[in-house]
Formats: sequence, structure tokens, C-alpha cells
Amino acid sequence: MTAAAAELRVDGVTVRFAGLTALDEVSFTVAPGSIHALIGPNGAGKSTCFNVLSGVYRATEGSVHYDGRELTGLAPHRIAGIGVARTFQNIVLTAGTVADNLMLGRHGLTTAGFASTALRLPKAVREQRRHRERAYEIADFLGIAAHFEQPVGPLSYGDRKRVEIARALCMEPRLLLLDEPVAGMNPTERLAMAATIAAVRAELGISILIVEHDMGMVMRLADAVTVLDFGRRIADGTPESVQRDPAVIAAYLGQQQEQQKEESA
Amino acid sequence: MSEISKRAVAGVGVLVLLALPFYATGFWLQSGLFAMAAVIGAIGLSLLTGTTGQLSLGHAFFLAVGAYGYVWLSGPAGAADGLTGLGLPPLLAFGLAVALTGLAGGLLSPIAGRLRGMYLGVATLALVFIGQHVMLNAHTVTGGYNGRSVPPMDLFGFALADASPQGLLVLGVPFGGLERLWYFGLALVALALLTARNLLRGRPGRALGAVRDSEVAAAVMGVPVARYRSAAFVVSCLYAGAGGALLALVFRRVVPETFGLVLSIDYLAMIVIGGLGSVGGAAAAAVLVTLLPQVLTGYADDLPLLARAGSGAAGPTPGEAARYLYGAAIVLVLTLAPQGLAGLTRRRPRKTLQEHTP
Ligand SMILES: Nc1ncnc2c1ncn2[C@@H]1O[C@H](COP(=O)(O)OP(=O)(O)OP(=O)(O)O)[C@@H](O)[C@H]1O
Ligand SMILES: [Mg+2]
Repeated sequence: MTAAAAELRVDGVTVRFAGLTALDEVSFTVAPGSIHALIGPNGAGKSTCFNVLSGVYRATEGSVHYDGRELTGLAPHRIAGIGVARTFQNIVLTAGTVADNLMLGRHGLTTAGFASTALRLPKAVREQRRHRERAYEIADFLGIAAHFEQPVGPLSYGDRKRVEIARALCMEPRLLLLDEPVAGMNPTERLAMAATIAAVRAELGISILIVEHDMGMVMRLADAVTVLDFGRRIADGTPESVQRDPAVIAAYLGQQQEQQKEESA
Repeated sequence: MSEISKRAVAGVGVLVLLALPFYATGFWLQSGLFAMAAVIGAIGLSLLTGTTGQLSLGHAFFLAVGAYGYVWLSGPAGAADGLTGLGLPPLLAFGLAVALTGLAGGLLSPIAGRLRGMYLGVATLALVFIGQHVMLNAHTVTGGYNGRSVPPMDLFGFALADASPQGLLVLGVPFGGLERLWYFGLALVALALLTARNLLRGRPGRALGAVRDSEVAAAVMGVPVARYRSAAFVVSCLYAGAGGALLALVFRRVVPETFGLVLSIDYLAMIVIGGLGSVGGAAAAAVLVTLLPQVLTGYADDLPLLARAGSGAAGPTPGEAARYLYGAAIVLVLTLAPQGLAGLTRRRPRKTLQEHTP
């Protein structure tokens, strides 16, 4: 259905907000078809990086290339058109049903305009029907088909997270950016989500860049890991090598252990 | 309400509307037609403000473009009183007036695409004043302060106005132009409701709703946000154009005073009372807001506290009383029932999309 996954290359990206450097010459490469984790303590710049990749923020310096095309400077809807889809750290859904949300994901793949929709021309009706079927398949894949016709508002937190991922998948992306897909979930939900993410990669063959605080999940899922701290890349490599890296332990894992101690205390 | 009972109510409603010219007096037919024009205009504003989240205070301006556009396009050419006109067949003039209003909206679309929410509201406020200036001063087109009379609608040789020369009896009821204009209005309302509903259920409606709920989410889902904001503006103008042209046909005379800021506010009141984002609610509220003053006028003598318009007696005139009433309705809606009239027909209140992320 879609073109094959390609390489994402982030080259010396710097993002400055008034007086604050959120990203400082960050570079990394996401290999085609891999699951790549982006980790780091709170405020390290992970979401900022996602915002640059999806065109929401503009990099002050540096460049991003996907499949040989420069993404830096492109409008978000153009980047979406190239095959980059994302979810948000705080769920951002639109009013309406699950189906409405998923069909929004099909926006770039459909063409019905104002006139043909207002007049219900057969072309528009057919297109809508066809894409709704595909949206239902994707909902089924994510395990939310039972809620397909229901409003998203009252759904459980975990289900709404799934709606967001399904909506992103409805764009038939080649690169999927997931910002903390299991944050706020209980251990059972986390395991199920990890399985879903692995299944997405296995069945669709797309690349996945994932921001996640759950180290167990990162180690289990990721092929490669990039670690940020205060906007700087402090490590990059396989999960095992990163886990042993003293800088990472100091900046990130140590902090997390402290947090866990606090929580258990 | 269940789907079946909803349909039954709608069916009965349609039958009543179709039968009304056989029973209602001219005053009520005219009031009803006035409400129809408001329904069409309110649907347009509902799509822009309710669905897309873009405020417009310039709706009166676009209603005026539709009204004056129709009058000028269908008006007699080279009339003795210095007025110009193209003298086009009324139906053609009506369609072109709608297109003209869309074009006027299109000229403003760079602004409408770039400004969001409130800011567009402030920018469009200026349109109302520019419109007043043009209406008062472009004498040859608008007739200036005293306005100009409106050529009646004419369908298949039947004039749709009161002064129709052909006497037509249907089932023993004299069928004058007003009765026939009633059906023209009904057809327009049906078309406006259907097209708006189709839009909302289709790809453009979802994109517009996404632009309102989250500009960022819309953009990363592939929606060109500025283009859709502009498009929503143009679409709302098309509805305003049709509403304005129908308004002209009902009034039979267009004057600048009609199209002041108060009219824009009235339309905002309609969509708020109807429940933002609901086309049906906006339509129902449009009927309420336009018919209330008429009802109060019709029964002014029987109601306590009300003074007859122009009688100089103490107490509010029907028009003022109606404003107080729907002013109160807005406060009630905003504080108690944010879903407006549309919320009354829904069984469960829809949960808002407020996040409760941990
Ligand atoms: N639009 C913005 N304007 C100003 N500062 C911002 C903006 N967006 C992010 N920042 C700042 O940039 C830094 C990085 O934020 P970012 O959200 O990217 O962190 P993160 O790694 O995603 O953290 P978390 O794990 O808490 O989600 C923070 O200090 C944040 O306050
Ligand atoms: Mg973040």
C-alpha cells in the first residue's frame, strides 16, 4: 500500500526558545524498519525533537532528512504527506467518534472536496465507504473495533491512547513517532501496548521512533537507543551499550532509581 | 430521542410547513420566510464559528452582499431614478448573488486563513462599517439611505411576490406570490440543511472540526490548516449570500439599516443559543430569534408590560423585549446548558475532550 520505510537522518538539530536551548546539535539516524527509542530525563528535549520532526517547531539550526528529502522547513501537513505520522504525549483527539478520528487520519489519502461532499456525489460517498473499511481494519488491529462508532470522550485512557495510535496508522505512514505511548498505564496495559507496537512493526514493516520512560519496555522493544540530557545527545547505540554507559547511568538511570526509591518510601 | 421518533417529528414538521400557506396569514408567512433566511445565514455562521472555531462579526456584511447583489443583478437596467442594474432573470441573479458573496469571502480568505478565532472576529468587525459606508454612498447600486426595491423572484413564469398579477387558486386558497415564495424558501432551507449536514459528515467537516479542536493535531494529520480556515470562511459566505438574497425578497426593499452590527450579533446569538457546532441547533435558534419579536408584535396588545412599537407608551417595544429575552437565553445557555438547543435532543451529555492525563 505504501512505499517502503526509509532512513530518517537528524543532523545537528538545535532548537532555542527565548534563553533556553531545548535541543543542542542533536544527531541520530533511524534505520529503515527499526524501532528506535529516544530517552532522557524530563525536559531533555524529546518532545521538542518530535515537534521538529513533524514540522510543528522549526529547528534553529541543523536539518532533518527522510528518504533523501529535507523535512526542515516543510509545513506539518506536507511532512504528513511524505509518510511521517505521530502521536502526542498528552492525548489530542478531536470531538466525535473513534471512526471520525480515524477518518481524519485518512485525510491526506482521500480527495473529496467541499462541493462533492456537500452534494454527496457518488465518488465522494464511495471514497468515504472504502476508507472507512480500512479504518475499521486498523481499529481492529489496535483492539478498539468495539468502540468504532462510539464518541472518544468517555473512552478509557488506555483506549484513547490506542485511538491516537490507530489514527496515526490510518495515515499509512512509513515512519511512526510515538511520544510516551504507555505513560499512565498499568503494567498489564503496558505489556499489551508493547506487544501492539511490536506487531505494528512486524506486520507493516514501518520504522518507529519511540519516546519512553519505561526502561524495561525500551530494552525489550528497541533496536537502537538515543539518549538526550539537557538537549544534548549523551549516548547512542544498542540498548545494551547504552544501559552500561556511565554518562547515561549518571544522567538518567540514576535519577530514575532515585525516583523509584522516593515512590517506594 | 430515538431515531424513529426523531424522523416522525421531522416528517410531521415538514408536512406542517408545506401546508402552512393554506392556513397562515400574510403576516405569518412573511415572518416565516424571514426566519428561513435567518436559518440559512445561521447555518453558514455555524459552520465557520461552531465547527471551525473562527469568529466572524462580519456576517451582516455578507448578508448585505447577497441582498444587494441580488437586487443589482436582477434590477432594471438604466432606470430613470439613476439606479443601475443588470436586469438578469431573478433565478439566475439569485445564484450569481450567492456566488458573488462567496467571491467577496474569497477576497478576504488570506486574512481568514491566517487569523484565528477571536482575531478574525475583530478583523471582520471592520467589514460591517465599510459595508454601511458603501451602502449609504454607492447610490447607483444601492439606492443610498432609502435603499431600493427588490425585483420579485420569478420561477417558470410565476412571479413569487405579493403583487403578482396572475390570480391563482389552489384548493380554493388564493395563491399569491408570498405563498409561492414560501416554497422557494423551503427548498432553499432544505438544500442548506442537507449540504451542511453532508459537509459535516464528510472529509471537509472532519478537517474543520480538527482545526477547531487542535490546530497542531489537524496539521500533523495532513490538513492544511490555513487553507481550510479560508474555505470555511468562503462556505459561510455562500450561505450568508443565499440568506441575504432571500431576506431581500422577503423585505421587498433593501435598506442599509438592516445590515448593521446588530444583525451580526443576532446571528452569533443564534448559533450560541443553538449550541455551537450544531447545524440543527443553529437553525432552530434562528427560527426562535427571528420569530420572537414577530410573535411579541403580533400579540403586543394582549401581553402585559409591552408597549406597541412607536406608540410612545412606557415599557419595552416588542423588538426590545425580544432582545432582552434572548439575551437572557444566551446567559442561560452559557451557564447552564453549553450544548444549547441541540443538547436538549441528545440523550446523554457528551463528555468534553478535556484531558485528564496523569
Ligand atoms: N514551546 C516552548 N516554548 C518554550 N520552551 C519550551 C517549549 N517547548 C518546550 N520547551 C522547553 O524545552 C525543554 C524541553 O522540553 P520537552 O518537552 O522537549 O522535554 P521532554 O524531553 O519531552 O520532557 P518530558 O519527559 O517531561 O516530556 C523544556 O525545558 C521545556 O520547558
Ligand atoms: Mg515530552
